Amino acid sequence: MKTTPLLEIKNLTVTYPYGPQGKDELKALDQIFINLSEGQISGIVGESGAGKSTIGKAILGLLDPPANLVSGEIRFRGNSLVGLSEAQFESLRGNQIGYIYQNPMTALNPVLTIGEQVIEAIEANTNMRGKNAQAYAIQLLKRAEVSFAEDRLQKYPHQLSGGLCQRIVFAIAIAAKPKLIIADEPTTALDVTVQKSVLQTLIKLSKEEQIAIILITHDIGVIAETCDYVYVLRNGKHVEQDTTNNVLQRPTQDYTKSLMASVPIIEKRLHRFPLSEEAKLKDASTGLHYLQEKQSTQDSTHESLLEVHNLSKIFITPSSLLKAKQLFTAVKDVSFNVMRGETVGIVGESGSGKTTIGRMILGLEDITDGRVIYRGKDLKELVDSAERRAHCLSMQCIFQDPYSSLNPRMTAGENITYGLRVHKMINPDKAKSLAQDLMALVGLPSEDAEKLPHAFSGGERQRIGIARALSYRPDFIFCDEPTSALDVSVQANLLNLLKDLQEKFSLTLLFVSHDLAVIRQMCDSVIVMKEGEALEKGSNKDIFESPQHNYTKSLLNSMPKFNRIDLI
Amino acid sequence: MHFSTLEFATKSNKMKNLKHIFNSLLNKIRPIFSGHYIAIAGLIGFSFFLLVAILAPWIAPQNPYDLMVLDIMDGLLPPLSKLGNGTTAWLGTDALGRDILSAVMYGLRLSLFVAFVAVSIGTTIGVILGLLAAVKGGWVETIIMRAVDLKVSFPGILLALMMLAIFGTGVDKIIYALIIGVWASKARLTRSQALSEMQKEYIDAARISGIPNWRIMVRFLLPNSIAPVLVMVPMALSGAIGAEATLSFLGVGVPITEPSLGLLIANGNDYILSGKWWISIIPGLVLVSLVLCINVVADRIREYNNPYLKSKDQ
Repeated sequence: MKTTPLLEIKNLTVTYPYGPQGKDELKALDQIFINLSEGQISGIVGESGAGKSTIGKAILGLLDPPANLVSGEIRFRGNSLVGLSEAQFESLRGNQIGYIYQNPMTALNPVLTIGEQVIEAIEANTNMRGKNAQAYAIQLLKRAEVSFAEDRLQKYPHQLSGGLCQRIVFAIAIAAKPKLIIADEPTTALDVTVQKSVLQTLIKLSKEEQIAIILITHDIGVIAETCDYVYVLRNGKHVEQDTTNNVLQRPTQDYTKSLMASVPIIEKRLHRFPLSEEAKLKDASTGLHYLQEKQSTQDSTHESLLEVHNLSKIFITPSSLLKAKQLFTAVKDVSFNVMRGETVGIVGESGSGKTTIGRMILGLEDITDGRVIYRGKDLKELVDSAERRAHCLSMQCIFQDPYSSLNPRMTAGENITYGLRVHKMINPDKAKSLAQDLMALVGLPSEDAEKLPHAFSGGERQRIGIARALSYRPDFIFCDEPTSALDVSVQANLLNLLKDLQEKFSLTLLFVSHDLAVIRQMCDSVIVMKEGEALEKGSNKDIFESPQHNYTKSLLNSMPKFNRIDLI
Repeated sequence: MHFSTLEFATKSNKMKNLKHIFNSLLNKIRPIFSGHYIAIAGLIGFSFFLLVAILAPWIAPQNPYDLMVLDIMDGLLPPLSKLGNGTTAWLGTDALGRDILSAVMYGLRLSLFVAFVAVSIGTTIGVILGLLAAVKGGWVETIIMRAVDLKVSFPGILLALMMLAIFGTGVDKIIYALIIGVWASKARLTRSQALSEMQKEYIDAARISGIPNWRIMVRFLLPNSIAPVLVMVPMALSGAIGAEATLSFLGVGVPITEPSLGLLIANGNDYILSGKWWISIIPGLVLVSLVLCINVVADRIREYNNPYLKSKDQ
């Protein structure tokens, strides 16, 4: 007898109205097929705009208007889910199909205790009440590997870490013994060290409870760690589907191949990401003249450009009527040197103080203690205003969030050259052509300098940010997680661009990231930070191939590992 | 010949520019109002009142400020009566023989003028103080924001009455009183908007580039935090019109020789029980419809700018 699959999706097409009058249609999903049997973990992977989340919403009937399910079939245990009433969906959601959101902190209700929320889910979906429900709640938390389960029931979400909150979300999701869980980027908001154990819990739950899971993610490492089967999507279209091993090691489609090539690897340092020809930058030779004027005056002897001595930062929350003064040490006694032309990486989890160091170097944050010597001088000792300005302007920054790092009310070109014009470092009538040259240099069409930031994608905005930094002809650029908000393929392009620019203009970079693989690819030497302290310093090779500190080892261990084809 | 063509060319260019500006303005306004008929009606009504107010000296049958043209014999005539000089008083006359239609036109003119001036000056002051508070922080912020707290802790009308009691009445005095009423909420809103903008990285980028604070205020913070304040302006306008009418009605507003809508209503108040309804009711109706028109438009603009309401609406 032929068994019916748990979930069967055929020809699913979802459209959004598009364009000025909403007359055009944007296909968020275009003829998608998915088959899932009981207890299977399938991954849906794709970059932003691939339509991954739309699939999850379509299954649960959560598509908000104006989204329109045009055609297709969704069958869950043989029953069609298309066109069910809201009441029918409600009896399905939570009960037979669970849903896990990206951010556990916002998925839980902050004014209720964990216990109240878990028990609420139990009472909504089972016959258990009172003491029974309480006991079952503890049991659920234990299954989701929440330590001290009894105590945790009394806590509020803000008292727990992100990883624990996500486990509690798991516990709530399995309360009704669903057959299927849709997990939408369940670990994206978590640190790497937490990510691994949370994923293991998810796999364990799937095995023990025979729950099938659809894991929606942009992270190929997560797919490799958890999934049996993968669907690759791009712009709402199906690209490839196969077992995880096959997709990672023997991708058949060009898109999958280039996606795999874009994923930074941790095993060895590559010269450049092996991108296909079309993805590579055109070598723009314009703009070079302006930028290289300064290079000739520079001696590139091997010396340290930046010295950081015993840097500390303490944030003070002043005492108020009800609270005493609070101190928070963000950075504790950190020292390092950055050689001219070198890239130094700072790696650490969120809250490790890595960005604060950069902000102190740039002068955006007051220094509590310690010294920053740049080009042999401490900013505090410079008196002459012209000298101070030159000192500060030759240190630039590339920011983390491309969506907030440009002034939305200035065109791209104005954003790039505004500072130069303010300082009268450039003739106003030359500003326009310089902006165009710089745009071309970072791989954008020069005529786009007239457009406002909202017309650009995240990766393009980040390029504009790089052009703005370059306009001051800096020696030193602080890169504050410049690619953490971007898709992998965009990230690979941008990192290649940064390497190219660094070579051309002998830039010195301080590169901050939480992503070990990106640090591995970009940096000559690495500083590992945790809770404001520099735990380990060393060359790229030393840190990644023979780490000394236990924390470094655990960081490296928690990186998702997967074999993939040797494209190099 | 050569010059004239050149002149012509630049002129037509200017025309084109104006046309372009007008078109882009129209394109911005169109999505706000398209399909919302009540708001369109409000906009048309407001434009009508505005036009009447601006053109009052040219289209009003009588100059109500000119005591020479008033004839006491024409006093207290009901609507559609013939006056001594042969013209018709469409909306009647008051005790002094003043034509109500003309008085309402001039009153509208004064009410709108006072409200416009007060709201634009008040908003400007509020925005500047709000930005200063956000950028400077420290004691500057403390002084500005405590002043805001102080202002909002008094009922607006009480504060205005106190002001007028101290400085006396007059068009300029009532404008000052209304400015006091307008600036505080604008300062508070601008500050909170500017503070959230200052968290964004483009402000850091500007600071790294050594761009002076006042330029950051004008070129970075102002254009990015002004939108919600501008949305509040129409509401403030109708509020100011109402406040001015209240003060004038109470007799502490505009002088009796230059009646605004509120004062006209007050003038008719004594006669309303003796059946001379038109002296009060007509300016009252005009005032109510003016405020209603502005509120309907303001509501729509607010709704359009609120993403939460918008998604429900579509």
